[in-house]
Amino acid sequence: MPSRKKKILGERSRRWHRMERWAQGWAIYKKNFLGRIGLVLLSIFVLMALASFIPPLVDPMYRPMSGVDPEITASVGPNFRHWLGTDFMGRDLFSQLLAGARVAFMVGISSAFVSIVLGTLIGMTAGYMGGWTDTLLMRVADMIMVMPTLLVVLILAALFGQLNIWSIVLIIALFRWPGVSRVIRAQTLTLKERPFIDAARVAGASHLRIIFRHIMPNVLPLSFLYMTFRVTAAINIEAALAFLGFGDPGTVSWGMMLQWVWKTGYMFKAPYWLLPPGICISLITLSFYLLGRAMDEVLDPRLRKEGERY
Amino acid sequence: MELWRYARQRLFQIGITFFVILTILFILFRIAPGDPVSRMIGPEMTTEDAAHLISQLGLDRPLWVQYVYYVKNFFSGNFGHSFHYGRPVIEVIGDRLPNTMLLFTTSVMISALLGVFLGKIAAWRKGEKTDTVMTLLALVTHTVFLPWMALILIWIFGYRLGWFPINGMISEEVWLDPSSGFWAKSVDVVHHMVLPLLTLSLIYFGSYLLIMRSAMLETLKEDYILTARAKGLTEKVIRNKHAAPNAALPVVTSVGLSLAFSINGGALTETVFSWPGIGRELVFSVSNNDYPLAQAAFLLISAVVLVSNLVVDILYAYLDPRIRY
Amino acid sequence: MALLEVEDLSIGYHTDQGILHAVEGISFTVNRGRSLGLVGESGCGKTTLGMAILRLLPQNGMVLKGRIRFEGRNLLELDAEAMRRIRWKEIAMIFQAAMNALNPVHRVADQVAEAILTHEPETPREVVRSRVEALFDQVGIPRSRMWDYPHQYSGGMKQRAIIAMALALNPKFMIADEPTTALDVIVQDQILKEAKRIQETFDIGMIYISHDIAVVAEVCHDIGVLYGGHLVEYGDRESVLDTPLHPYTRMLLASFLTVNGKAAKAPQAQGDSPDLVHPEPGCRFCERCRYAEAACRLEPVKYVAVSPTHRVLCSRCA
Repeated sequence: MPSRKKKILGERSRRWHRMERWAQGWAIYKKNFLGRIGLVLLSIFVLMALASFIPPLVDPMYRPMSGVDPEITASVGPNFRHWLGTDFMGRDLFSQLLAGARVAFMVGISSAFVSIVLGTLIGMTAGYMGGWTDTLLMRVADMIMVMPTLLVVLILAALFGQLNIWSIVLIIALFRWPGVSRVIRAQTLTLKERPFIDAARVAGASHLRIIFRHIMPNVLPLSFLYMTFRVTAAINIEAALAFLGFGDPGTVSWGMMLQWVWKTGYMFKAPYWLLPPGICISLITLSFYLLGRAMDEVLDPRLRKEGERY
Repeated sequence: MELWRYARQRLFQIGITFFVILTILFILFRIAPGDPVSRMIGPEMTTEDAAHLISQLGLDRPLWVQYVYYVKNFFSGNFGHSFHYGRPVIEVIGDRLPNTMLLFTTSVMISALLGVFLGKIAAWRKGEKTDTVMTLLALVTHTVFLPWMALILIWIFGYRLGWFPINGMISEEVWLDPSSGFWAKSVDVVHHMVLPLLTLSLIYFGSYLLIMRSAMLETLKEDYILTARAKGLTEKVIRNKHAAPNAALPVVTSVGLSLAFSINGGALTETVFSWPGIGRELVFSVSNNDYPLAQAAFLLISAVVLVSNLVVDILYAYLDPRIRY
Repeated sequence: MALLEVEDLSIGYHTDQGILHAVEGISFTVNRGRSLGLVGESGCGKTTLGMAILRLLPQNGMVLKGRIRFEGRNLLELDAEAMRRIRWKEIAMIFQAAMNALNPVHRVADQVAEAILTHEPETPREVVRSRVEALFDQVGIPRSRMWDYPHQYSGGMKQRAIIAMALALNPKFMIADEPTTALDVIVQDQILKEAKRIQETFDIGMIYISHDIAVVAEVCHDIGVLYGGHLVEYGDRESVLDTPLHPYTRMLLASFLTVNGKAAKAPQAQGDSPDLVHPEPGCRFCERCRYAEAACRLEPVKYVAVSPTHRVLCSRCA
């Protein structure tokens, strides 16, 4: 009998149960063709990001920001020494592209992480506390959601001067949490009604303990699902900022590359410069999106392919 | 009618939101590093003009008085003087606002309608080639990086093929020529509008298509569709009269939720295409440290987003009787 | 001529594990002015039957065998357009859970009018309007509420509106699938009386599907008991109620309160519901039957007629 096993093995059997669920989830994920493509694309980008450390080690002229090929004075197309060519200053485009992958992941993941931490905390609090706290938090969330993030960062750039990459990451996170909090709040509201919460309360658990020990583990999968969408938003906003010229001047990101090709007038003349960064931004967004949708299918059984109906 | 009451309620809510934004901006401008006075008074102004402006904006008074002046000035349209243009800010943004509204509203309508129409078809032909193609297209276009898409379109259609102008909203030759009639001028604007509109519509229609498609698939499982079929209605009528109106509702909600994104995209598009709108003005004013203009542009854009939200909400209430009654 | 004749009907659904045999070898007849109650627990195939008659099975459902004759014509052989014309005009259906059977974005009266206009498109507007009004009067919905939206109606009102809509074209036959399940007892009673009155007044042939034999017993002339896709007992009301033969029928009858309020002794229900993807060749009730023998499982079951109007699917029960 399964129930007896659980009582005897306790913690070990719970871990087993969780692993089973992971395996199940993976099986469902694998079936999703687009999800697999997303994963493949993502791995390519991860490889790119990891590989970004290599070129400068090979030769200082491959440094993305400051490395200049002494023999080149203008932008040239792909050749043996520079696989994608160089920009107008003679810097290697391929190493810039690799560095951009690293920046994209950094920006995307940290910003998304902060967003969901904030969103989850606020959503859980709002859902659990209810009443005035709930209304107030949700009104604030509504107001923030209405704001166009990019333009907010712009205005802050105007006031506070050139922003560095981490400020950008933080500001993006501060404006993207409302989406997560709504969903987490809804989930918390459903969970609140479940008997195991009542049981915990009767046993004397404090509110904090209930929130962190009981509600949080159940909403975390949802948080992580929504993290994928936050990553794409963060990457795109940072890229747009860099593109407009408001990015961190010390960071080479794909948006920055596009800014350079645009502003230096090489836009029409150098497709080898124009195309790769844009394709990368678009593809990394696509891959995270596909990942998110496939994970959605894993988490929400209603979305799975229906084979049987009664 | 119930709709009016709902509209009034929402209007009140966005009024409050706007006030909050106004206030926060005021605070930000004051706490940012640097002298707030120099933010409003341009370096090229004469001392008289400067003194006049200072008293007009109340910059020499205590903080809370400044706030009162600030709000009052906002509602009377006095936003100060633009450093860059040397004109009152209100004039500059007055020139730009209609251009943005033109591009913005047209692109939102086109992408929403296109998304709904194609999403309906994709759902109907689920699993067939048409559906796969459309879904993939939607997926790809809505993840493409907007400024890059704009650049590509300019490169192909403007530079290479020469079909459309590369930038701007008007061709001076047409507009300065006294003999051009209304028709010629309109055609000229439309000609310039094609590429920016294409950019915006391509990027945004994808998500509406996907939402409409899944909403249609969900709706088609509902009991009232079964009833409609049992009543002997043709598939076409069921699709268009019973399923689509219900499925379109989440799309309307989605349009409302993504208005902030659409405005972001609008600003980027205006910048790349040099379309003389408020978004571009905001970007330029920030680069030029033209604070009065930047502040006003930002406030105006916020107002546009809020009002658009209101419009979408009212539209939703109109379409869904469960809200109205 | 019988109004509706179902002959040896078998229906299955495609699933990941194979074909699920929802209905197997079912035959019955319904005449004008008579009502047949189909009773069984969830999953027994009664809803599938109802949907199959109007050819409204979902994408993965299909008729494997048999005929459905309506006024002599086999409905399964009609093309889509001909079937569409029969729907609602000749045979109408009231679905389970009427809560969602009305489209939320259209007014109720419009939806009823739509039924009329679809099949009789030349009807002038005033005539349509007065017909709709008459229908609402008949089911007892005040005219002032006609133009409301469905969400403004109570459950009972919605159900009555559905009935009004079903009657809009004066169908000859009606299928009512658990029309009262979601309603409270008092409303349920009203609706049942309403259904009976309508059936008698308009001489409509009816199939009444329910899981509750008490409801069916009150309203129907004939009773058919379904289990695991088989029609295990079929006969006129008096016979089946007075002398239930199949153990399942007896279980159903025993499991509700008697007049005195004391629950009659219900025989224990043991075992799981039958596996319909890989069904046994024999009787499907064996798992839960007290009298089951080895032979019951292996040999295909046949009908035994106890009287011209009463038969049972079990060789040992007669």
